[in-house]
Amino acid sequence: MVFPAGTSSEPRTRITLGEFIGLTIAGLALGAIYAIAASGLVVTYTTSRVFNLAHGAIGMVMAFVYWQLRVEQHWNAPLALFVALLLVAPAIGLIIEATLIRRLNPNDTGMALVVTLAVMVALMGIAFTLWPQTKGRLLPVFFGPNAHLSVAGQLITYEELISIALAVATAVGLRLFFFNTRIGIAMRGVVDDRQLMSMNGRSPAMLSALSWAIGAALGGLAGILTASTYQLDIINLTLLVLNSFAAAMLGRLRNLILTFVGAIVLGLLDAYVVGYLKLTGWLVHLRPVLPTLFLFVVLIALPAVHLRSGTAVISRAIRIPAGARSLGNGAALVVLAIVVAPFLHGTVLGNVNAGVALGIGALSIVLLCGYGGYVSLAQYAFFGFGAWLFSEVGHGGNPVGLLVAAAAGAVLGAIVALPALRLRGLELALSTLAFGQLAYYMFFLQPEVMGRSDLAIPRLHLPGISLESGDRNLIFLSIVFALASAGVLALRRSRFGRILVASKDSQVAVATLGLNLRLSKILLFALATALATFGGALYGSTQRLVTADNFQYVSSLFIVLIVYVYGVSTPGAALAGGLSLAIAPLLAVHIPVRFQAVTYFMTGFGAFVLLGRPTGIIPAVSEWLHDRLPRRVMGHTGGPPPVVVPREPSRPTVEVSRAAASDA
Amino acid sequence: MSAYAIELIDVHAAYGGIEVLHGVDLVVPEGALVAMLGPNGAGKSTTLKAIDGRLTPTGGCVHIAGRHMNGASTKQLARAGVCSIPEGRGIFPNLTVEENLRMLTQLHADLPMSEVAERTYARFPILGQRHTQLAGTLSGGEQQMLAMSRALVSDPSVLLVDEPSMGLAPRIVAEVYDVLRQLAAEGITMLLVEQFAQMALSIADYAAVMIQGQIVTFAEPADLGDVAGAYLGASA
Repeated sequence: MVFPAGTSSEPRTRITLGEFIGLTIAGLALGAIYAIAASGLVVTYTTSRVFNLAHGAIGMVMAFVYWQLRVEQHWNAPLALFVALLLVAPAIGLIIEATLIRRLNPNDTGMALVVTLAVMVALMGIAFTLWPQTKGRLLPVFFGPNAHLSVAGQLITYEELISIALAVATAVGLRLFFFNTRIGIAMRGVVDDRQLMSMNGRSPAMLSALSWAIGAALGGLAGILTASTYQLDIINLTLLVLNSFAAAMLGRLRNLILTFVGAIVLGLLDAYVVGYLKLTGWLVHLRPVLPTLFLFVVLIALPAVHLRSGTAVISRAIRIPAGARSLGNGAALVVLAIVVAPFLHGTVLGNVNAGVALGIGALSIVLLCGYGGYVSLAQYAFFGFGAWLFSEVGHGGNPVGLLVAAAAGAVLGAIVALPALRLRGLELALSTLAFGQLAYYMFFLQPEVMGRSDLAIPRLHLPGISLESGDRNLIFLSIVFALASAGVLALRRSRFGRILVASKDSQVAVATLGLNLRLSKILLFALATALATFGGALYGSTQRLVTADNFQYVSSLFIVLIVYVYGVSTPGAALAGGLSLAIAPLLAVHIPVRFQAVTYFMTGFGAFVLLGRPTGIIPAVSEWLHDRLPRRVMGHTGGPPPVVVPREPSRPTVEVSRAAASDA
Repeated sequence: MSAYAIELIDVHAAYGGIEVLHGVDLVVPEGALVAMLGPNGAGKSTTLKAIDGRLTPTGGCVHIAGRHMNGASTKQLARAGVCSIPEGRGIFPNLTVEENLRMLTQLHADLPMSEVAERTYARFPILGQRHTQLAGTLSGGEQQMLAMSRALVSDPSVLLVDEPSMGLAPRIVAEVYDVLRQLAAEGITMLLVEQFAQMALSIADYAAVMIQGQIVTFAEPADLGDVAGAYLGASA
């Protein structure tokens, strides 16, 4: 859970035994909430091999639904809980499973991540629309404000005791359910082989749906407990998933007992840190990032992932434009900018500038996610780092500042890649999101960086060319984007690009060819991060004034999603994504306040396009045009013609989990 | 009621746009063991998939015990008594041996777990010793035994077995074939797909040779003569 910064820094000098007991109970209660949330994650992951990034968002929506029934409709607590947890939450889980998850290929980790991320963002959009954050909402405390016990002089609320009791009941209940009932065993077996399960007379679809219903109910319970203890906040409740993920990772997302232990350790850690440490100075924001630090420790302590093979998902080959064509496309973009720029003014021009700058940074997503297959959710942290560096080094808009930002980004990327070598797929994605959170709280919010006031960043100054006017800056940014995207495409056509795509298909095959996977991964991260910090520096230079909120870690989710929607293997998607995000706030001005979560709807619901068009909008449109326009118009392309590869309904790759082995 | 437990009439099946079965005609008489032989890629496993519901035929008829079953789901077919042991063992590797056996009671709710375990461990004592072990950590032979236990305890009306010898040591293959022989002796109708013909022909009542998505020969093993050798090479 992400706590309000103001609550995190109450120094304590001497702790009595009574206070220690109080802290312990508070820690256990918090750990219990984490345990319930993490159990829900484990349930859905164990039975579908899909990590539900929207778990926290479901909990958040349930907390608001409960508030609506309890406070607005004045229902009594048991009835409101019954409807929220046993009707609405399971229904949401069932709908998500039936409409989205069932259509996913279990081998396609990236797509599973993106789709659940889209659900999360879409649910946030719905929540912002139904429950605008213009007024504070509080849930009534269970059994009233005076319901508490006194132990060693410490008040222990019924709320805390209920949380602990519910967590224990959840852990015991799930253990018994999964290991001692036929349906529970079947739910664990369905992920191994759906067809075989069907041959055993069980409906795999029904089992998956049931697991998502249970998972959603547990997420809802955690959300309501969190909200009744703290407050109703859409973003904080949604990101509960990060904290519970840290706990679930201890059990490798499979072992419920270790997950429970992880959650309790996290809860106690939080309580003792608040109780025993003085959270002042640069530590003032330590509390919200404790789960993140815990997650990093767990990831480092866990054994590294093994090389994998045979999990490639082939849908449709994407054309890679030849060098001349990619330069031609770039030239067309620059001409377009020259033609359009004089007609743009004020905020519109400023936002378009920001969008192109973001597009340059978003090319890093094409490199990392599109070519390398590594879903990274920390891009805004790198943008912010680039912007801050340019403000520090690029005095007077000195272009050397840009180069320094890129070089420092490359070093940072290489450093980030070192722990990332151990990870892949889901773990890597969530670790990068955690890194973004860490960067936001521990770096951007520091008074010396952007925490105290707006950070002034000079507009880039090229010798002999003034970029002070917005239209000139737009043309310059378009030239930079054109060159950068041509460079990205050249890299894709190169030997290094082939290695990247090959290692995405089969790391074993690449390693057995004698190629250095580690080096290529480090190089990829270095290059991508350099692009991101370079783009971030240009973004800062375009904005002139930035705050830490410009680099909120949640924004990384939006940009990754939107680039996926447009086509993550296409540089044009980076530009389209950057522009969409920058222009969305302009649209919000023209619609009622209630419906202003445009960015959430655009990215969240937009990503569902991927279920029908996994390659994204731009490649789909490009193919459509290619099929209909004469070859002369479409021009020659350097890549092979697209092919639809027929696919035998495949069994998911099965690996016997260590956690499951130890669990058994 | 048809005398055939399985009857395929001009069955076509395809993966995406590529047709693999080009009109398969095949009958498996009630209580008989038919070995389907053929080289790699002939369409043997695809034929089994078309029968057990994993693949919906694009044309023709699949009859089980005289009933038209095209388009029936694997679950419906399983409930109709079709037991399929697919290639690659057909077990749940992340469940223990005991839990795998327990899965058999999903289909037969009236079958007590104690009886399932008793019958399985009596035939395969090694599985009894390893009942708490994850199935994925068993040896290939033990995994195949576990897969075969489905046929042992579920009393299927039709048993489909795909490549039971794949990747196994000769001693284990012999043991697996002993079980198949025993099931055949009990009168269970069986369609056995095997690439290596000799062992399959030793227990089969009839043999069907499949080449390029069609059955080219159907005869008793003794009447196959040179056909098997001509189509299947030295392995026959």
